[in-house]
Amino acid sequence: MIDDLNDARRATRLIRWYPRAWRERYSEEFADHLEQEFAVRRVDLRRSLNVAYKGLVARVDDFGLSTNAVNAGGQTRAALGTSFVLMALMAVLALNFWSWAMLMWSARTYHPIPVDATTGILTVTTGLLLLVLVAMVLIVLVSAVRQIVRGRGRRIVTPLAFAVGSVAFLSYSVRWLPNVLARYSHMFQGGYRWTHPGPAAYGLAFIAHRVTQPWISMWNPGISGEPTSQAVMNDLAPLAVLVFAVAMAFLARRVELPRIGERLGSVTVVLLSILSGVFLLTLVAWFTAGGPIYAAFGETGNIAGVAYLVFFGLVTVLVSRSGLLARKNESRYARNHIEIVGSKIV
Amino acid sequence: MAISETPLAGLGRNAGAAILILSSLAGGEKHGYALVKDVQEFAGVHLPPGTLYQVLARLESRGLIVALEADERRRPYRLTAQGATVLTEYIAAQQRVLKTGQARLKRSWGVA
Repeated sequence: MIDDLNDARRATRLIRWYPRAWRERYSEEFADHLEQEFAVRRVDLRRSLNVAYKGLVARVDDFGLSTNAVNAGGQTRAALGTSFVLMALMAVLALNFWSWAMLMWSARTYHPIPVDATTGILTVTTGLLLLVLVAMVLIVLVSAVRQIVRGRGRRIVTPLAFAVGSVAFLSYSVRWLPNVLARYSHMFQGGYRWTHPGPAAYGLAFIAHRVTQPWISMWNPGISGEPTSQAVMNDLAPLAVLVFAVAMAFLARRVELPRIGERLGSVTVVLLSILSGVFLLTLVAWFTAGGPIYAAFGETGNIAGVAYLVFFGLVTVLVSRSGLLARKNESRYARNHIEIVGSKIV
Repeated sequence: MAISETPLAGLGRNAGAAILILSSLAGGEKHGYALVKDVQEFAGVHLPPGTLYQVLARLESRGLIVALEADERRRPYRLTAQGATVLTEYIAAQQRVLKTGQARLKRSWGVA
């Protein structure tokens, strides 16, 4: 009797390696199967490792990057969540890169036409990328709050708390921003003229660079004269971005989205993959054309430039794959739905 | 027909386990533990539980097997018509390889 109880507990512990959708479908029969195996051979390290490893594989399958997910109906949500995490991290790097490029570009009076064109495309792509991400955040957060107000928010409270907490941390880490904005907005002290496109772009680039540079150069020595607390917050900011993105991914999977959000899910992922692809190609063209910070990023042996390209390439491939799989899955579901409806009519 | 051209594509290293499971279910519906015992008996291969359920999930999502109503906690699986076709084609392809190999061994080495 005690052995049976222990076997059931061991089985339950092992099944925790698997994602929720998998557990909802298979946990009962899998637990029964494991208990029968335990009855024949109580201890078997290879068996335990096999279950743990396959559980991790099932979790990876559940990220929307594989055709093997148990919850195929949730493929689009999974793709949205995974793409958001990847694109949020990419957006920080992209914003930092663009801001630096824009500042350097503005500091020169003459540029070859390819450099002008690629800087412009980078500006538009970065802007669109941020717009899509902000729209996703707003839709998910509004839906989450509405769901909680309706009393159905038990599963989304934790990720929502993590999302709000990480945003609060990030906001506190850039609490100096309003002062900087006020100082540089004052025209009579030589501030930026926000009504003119050129100076406004320069002003935005300046602010974006001030915000993202300490995040990018994490765990570097702090700026001279900077309080230690600020240096620590800057070091923790990338982790806060990651926590926020992961929390948003959980919300995107669990929240009751409006119908339009459901319909646009896979299209949004495809749009993100196109934007990341355009950004990557433009970045390569920009390096090739000899953009103003080519020396900093493009020299052989400078690992930053190579790391940028590899990361952007990886994100583009993964987001494209998740978008294509979500589109494919949606069309398959739509086809099945038509067949079922058709069979009812007949 | 090679595995890469069938619905078994994408199972990767688990394609072998998938064939064993389909072969076992060709003899009638079985739940997980009965499947393991049967495969052990006719192929001498012990399918670890993680592998078994990974492959069952993938075969089910591809429509090659179907889960029946659970008997308490045990859920039996049945081969579908599509699963039977895939298994038939795979076995036919393997038989062609077998016959060719045997014929060539006999011609060149006088064995098989």
